[in-house]
Parts: sequence; C-alpha cells; structure tokens
Amino acid sequence: MSYYDIDSILTDAQKLPCTFELEVPGLGILEGNPGDNIKAGTRIDLPLWLGEMLSIGARLGTSRLVTLDIPSALSERVMNALKADPRTVDLRALAPHFYSLSERVLELFEEEEMVDVLINTFKKRASEIADHAHNPMGALGDGVEFLRGLDETERQLFRVAHDSAKETRIWAGEAKKR
Amino acid sequence: MAFPLPRGITPPEISFLAEMEMVTILPRQRLEGLELLGGPVEPLLPPRRASLPLWLALLLKRQRRANILPPPWLHPESLSLILDIETQHHEYEHTFSPPPPLPGQPSIRDHGQRPVAVPRYTPDGGRYYPAPPFLPQNVAQDHIPAGEPPSLPFHWLEVGTMLLDAASDDLVDPDQTRRLLKELREVRTAKIRSGVDVLDTASTGGGGVALTGVGAMEVGEGRGFIAGVIDGLRKIGASKEQARREQMAEDMANGGYGATQDDDDDMEF
Repeated sequence: MSYYDIDSILTDAQKLPCTFELEVPGLGILEGNPGDNIKAGTRIDLPLWLGEMLSIGARLGTSRLVTLDIPSALSERVMNALKADPRTVDLRALAPHFYSLSERVLELFEEEEMVDVLINTFKKRASEIADHAHNPMGALGDGVEFLRGLDETERQLFRVAHDSAKETRIWAGEAKKR
Repeated sequence: MAFPLPRGITPPEISFLAEMEMVTILPRQRLEGLELLGGPVEPLLPPRRASLPLWLALLLKRQRRANILPPPWLHPESLSLILDIETQHHEYEHTFSPPPPLPGQPSIRDHGQRPVAVPRYTPDGGRYYPAPPFLPQNVAQDHIPAGEPPSLPFHWLEVGTMLLDAASDDLVDPDQTRRLLKELREVRTAKIRSGVDVLDTASTGGGGVALTGVGAMEVGEGRGFIAGVIDGLRKIGASKEQARREQMAEDMANGGYGATQDDDDDMEF
C-alpha cells in the first residue's frame, strides 16, 4: 500500500459507524448542524481515517473519544449471506472497496470467524472470476450480473486474468490483435 | 502513466526464450560452422543430423535448407499417452503429468532409489549440473529408453506451436498433433483454474503450492491472476497470521523445550 495508491485513499474515505463517548464542543458540523456541540452517545458515520484516529488517539488516563462499530458492509447479515453462497452477493453495492475495507476493519477488530468467511468468499469468487475472464465473450456473456457485483480488488483480478488470456490467444494466433 | 506492459513476461517473450531450445535437423545443404554469441554451431554436412537452436532451425527450414526432426514427445502416440495420464489416471486428477526427469533423477518407475546427480564438466574443467533450459529435451531420439513414459518439456506449448506453424510437413500427422496439443492445453488450463481452491495454503506462512510439470507459457499466462489471488488472500488473512505469529512467539517464550514446561505452567493455574 503506497502513499499515492488511489485505492487505499478511497478505502480510507469509507464510512465507519462511531459512537461518541464524550461531549465535544463545536464539532456539530459532523452531524450536519454547525456550531453545535456533539453530545455523548451520538452515533455518526465517520470516515475510516478519522474514526481510527479518534478511537486510538486518546491520551493515557482519559477515556476514549469514540468507540468503533463494525460497518454495515461487514455485518452479521452479510456474513451469513456470504456463508450461504459467496457468488450471489453484490459486494460492490455493499462497499466499492469491500476487501480493502475488511482488511482495515480486521486490523481493528479481532474476528477470527470473519477472516475464515472472507477467505472462503474470496477463493470461491476468484475461481468464478477466472472462468469469466477466460471466456472469449468477456463481460458480455451470462455473467454480467456477477461481474457487476465485483469489488475493486476483484475487478483488477478480472482485468489481469482477462488480459493474460487474451495475450496468449493473440500469440497462438487464435485471436486478432486489437 | 505507469509502464504499459503487465507484470511478468508476455507470451511473445516466452516464445522468444523457447527459441533457445535445441532441436535436431536434417540439413539439405552444407554450411560451415558458425561462431554465434550463444555458442558455436556445428558444421552442417547433408546426410548427418545436427543439433541447432530452434530459431536457427526454423530459419533454415523456412529457406528450405533443412528438415526438422520432431522431438519424441511431439508425436500423436506420445501426446495421446500424455493426455491419457492427464485425464484418466487417478493419481494425476488434480496435478499435471510429470515433467521429464532431470539427469540423475530416478524416473517414476523405480521408486525408492536415491537420486544421484551426475555432474558434467565444462571445457575449462569446471563442474556443473545441467538444468532444464540447457537440457536437450526437444532433440530427436533414435531409441527411447524402455519403460520411460513420454513427458512434456518445460517449453512444450511454444515449441509445439512453432513447429506446427513452420514445419508441419516434417511432423507425423500434423492435424492429429494439433488437435491433441489443443486438447492437452484445455485439460491443463482447467486444472490451473480449479487449483485456485488450494491457493490459500500458499498465502499463509510456510505454505506452498506445487507447480511441478507446469509449462512456461502456462506459468506466464497464470502469473498475474495467481499472484493476485494469493496477494488478496494474504491481505485478508494478515490479522490471523499476526495472531498466529504472536501465539508462536508466546509459546517460544514460555517453554519451547517441550511438554515438561507446559505441565509446570498448568500447575500454576
């Protein structure tokens, strides 16, 4: 993950539900009413970079400013759906950078089971992606629905697999160049 | 923008490397020995066979100065045997047919024999062990050692395709060969695709996936995708891996000498 990686910047901007533990004066702008105070116990969706800093950046001896919650894209309901059938879930609708987000969330929370579910999901979907990528029809076949639901990481995988398959076909003389 | 070519090497580059392979030709014209950068080429005397790099053999073939003798594996019989191994054998249901044995490596027939690598010597007297790109895997053989099953060399797809393109009249039954090569390729591509399920062993520490017998072009084609999947799995599993390492470090810290110390720990609780 490099400093100029667009995908990691966009991942940082994804929202995470946070609950404020303390009253913060003048921060009401986050809630949409500037000039007001934020009361303790308010739930606001904050970007990942801000929430992360607020939750761990507290000085020693003081209570934490916010507590984090697991985002809706990784909720129990989604995990159950992924357990049932990874292929039918539209990850893109849940979060455009689903896997990068879950990576960051897993750094913050200890969720052994979620890791297993996600690894299984990634594997199952990867083989499906390979099937679609090797299909000379590309993204025009039956799998449009599935391919539309790929998250950014999976899209890159699809592009790589599709390009290398195409290059090989061009070399073998089975396909025209461009 | 970034460098436009994808990571790894492209198919034309792979086939360029495959042109280093030595093949046997039957010259039709005399040619003095050539001193090339890659090493000297023996003089060509018409009735005698000679071993040349594939690129030179193809050049001479296109100029109708030589005929290429196909390597033993590029024969309908051998290819259908290999295809049988790939599809019928239970043992090779999910793996690839074994590559040609290295010198000194026991073949599959004699199990339990200790491998003895046989060193060769350079003209200067230096010792070396020959390895695949410099092994004559594609030269014609007069007698195939008995009991040695045919096997696909590392550059099978490239050499096969190039010979079918340029020297199809030198091959035995080129149409059948072409069909078998295509079938082999499809079977093996399907195996690579189904192999995604075992890739997570490669993403955890100390794990790995065997790619024995996979050809150069197949590696080149799968590189981007397979590396991408493993990287993705590694990132998702990073927190778990971290926990595993910490656990291991903890185990090493208290005890690490075996069961006796564990028992001591239990006593304290």
